[in-house]
Amino acid sequence: MEKKFTDIAIPTDLYNKIEEKIKGTEFPSVASYVAKVVDDNLSKEEGTKDAFSKEDEEKVKDRLKALGYID
Amino acid sequence: MNKKVLVIGLDCATGEIVFDRKEELPVLRELIDNSIYGNLRSADPPITIPAWMVMCTGKDPGKLGLYGFRHRKDYSYKDVWIATSYSIREKTIWDIIGEKDGQSCLVSIPPSYPPKPVNGNLISCFITPGDDKEYTYPADLRVELEEKFGPYIFDVVFRTDEKDKILKQTYQMTEQRFRVLNHLITKKPWDFFMFVEIGVDRVHHAFWRYMDPSHHLYEKGNPYENVIIDYYKRVDGLIGELLSNVDKDTTVLVVSDHGAKSMKGAFCINEWLIEQGDLVVKERPQSSISFDKVDVDWSRTKAWGWGGYYARIFLNVEERESQGIIKIEDYRKEREALIERLAAIKGPDGEEWNTKIIKPQKYFQELNGDYPDLMIYFDDLCWRSAGTLGHGTKYLLENDTGPDDAVHAQNGIYILYDPKNKTCLRKDANILDIAPTILDEMGLAVPEDMRGTIITKG
Repeated sequence: MEKKFTDIAIPTDLYNKIEEKIKGTEFPSVASYVAKVVDDNLSKEEGTKDAFSKEDEEKVKDRLKALGYID
Repeated sequence: MNKKVLVIGLDCATGEIVFDRKEELPVLRELIDNSIYGNLRSADPPITIPAWMVMCTGKDPGKLGLYGFRHRKDYSYKDVWIATSYSIREKTIWDIIGEKDGQSCLVSIPPSYPPKPVNGNLISCFITPGDDKEYTYPADLRVELEEKFGPYIFDVVFRTDEKDKILKQTYQMTEQRFRVLNHLITKKPWDFFMFVEIGVDRVHHAFWRYMDPSHHLYEKGNPYENVIIDYYKRVDGLIGELLSNVDKDTTVLVVSDHGAKSMKGAFCINEWLIEQGDLVVKERPQSSISFDKVDVDWSRTKAWGWGGYYARIFLNVEERESQGIIKIEDYRKEREALIERLAAIKGPDGEEWNTKIIKPQKYFQELNGDYPDLMIYFDDLCWRSAGTLGHGTKYLLENDTGPDDAVHAQNGIYILYDPKNKTCLRKDANILDIAPTILDEMGLAVPEDMRGTIITKG
């Protein structure tokens, strides 16, 4: 089964700008370009989220030291 | 999806045991004798993080921006960040499978804490701070599992001299993991199932000296001589049970992230850099101390190093580090001079070392994240790197952070068993080949930016 899609609205000016920008690139459509850019941004935001509390991070670091991975 | 794929990840599993002693491992032998199999060249660096994610994304560490478990935060001298599931920005195999509505079941693949949403089920890995945290996706999977199997065991504390305790804990962890796996594999829907058994790595590190006559601390006839092979035999039996719960048409792939070999010792990189005049400390420590706690005179320091299974070296560069002293125009010259001296390091008895030195900027096609200025494999990884100071010597015969017997080898293993295409062919492959091979097995298109090659008979 293929990926499911839905519609969102973006300003026409922006649409035209993107259409111009993707000419001759790997992007087959404005939708594919917008999806890629938004997806990249969401991933980046996720990458900067804190995975650990300070206390947990110290605990994990101590364990990684004991395991020989760091220090 | 064309086919279901089961990936059996054995962290650190080595061909010296899996292939060379296959007669003692009937389940793996049966797979090997009907498979394409061979050495699997790990990533650079051949470390658990990033290696599993290199395998699962088909992207190298430069692209992933992952060079180990920890990384410097914005060229800080002391602040670091720890790699977690949030650090993975490239698409994984299960992301791609999920886009096609395929379901995955993922157990303890490093790094998978915090648990990220997946089309299927997930249990996080050994970097989970404790079993009191959310460690599954969906969250209620944890309740289901704990009711049946008790709190999930992520790891063992193995760097202790209580060998019997380590062994008992490792068996408890592995036995529980396979009970969980048998439950998931029969009760949950999946197209792709992958798990990583970390116990193989832990028994290697804790017991290698007792098995390997070439280890400098090996004693013939010691009571732990067969611990490693006995553990492999148990894992072999557990894999057999697991396979009995799997549809006979399922493709099975056994993999490791890197191999193992005898550790010769630990080289104190920062002691050496002090001796060379590259690193200046305000007071020379007299007993073992972490580099973080040493008072460094950054205004006179050109380079410092980190420990682990390989060394990361950082240069103190003007305008990049807050107290950098190497001028940007001198960066290459200084680095080349350091490389020359590092390459000339010999062993404690003056023996030649086969040291490998990687310049990340040259080695990786794309370079992201907080990469070191140099990556060093002392004597081809036989000597690990100790970042700690105050040992009174540059050469330690034991690991500085506790007893350890094994280091990482660049070659891990793979066994690709396709029940509809049985063969027996030994052929080496690269860790980058695994993701495209899995996608191809499942009948999915391989993204163009995966550089690996699909493993085939040809």
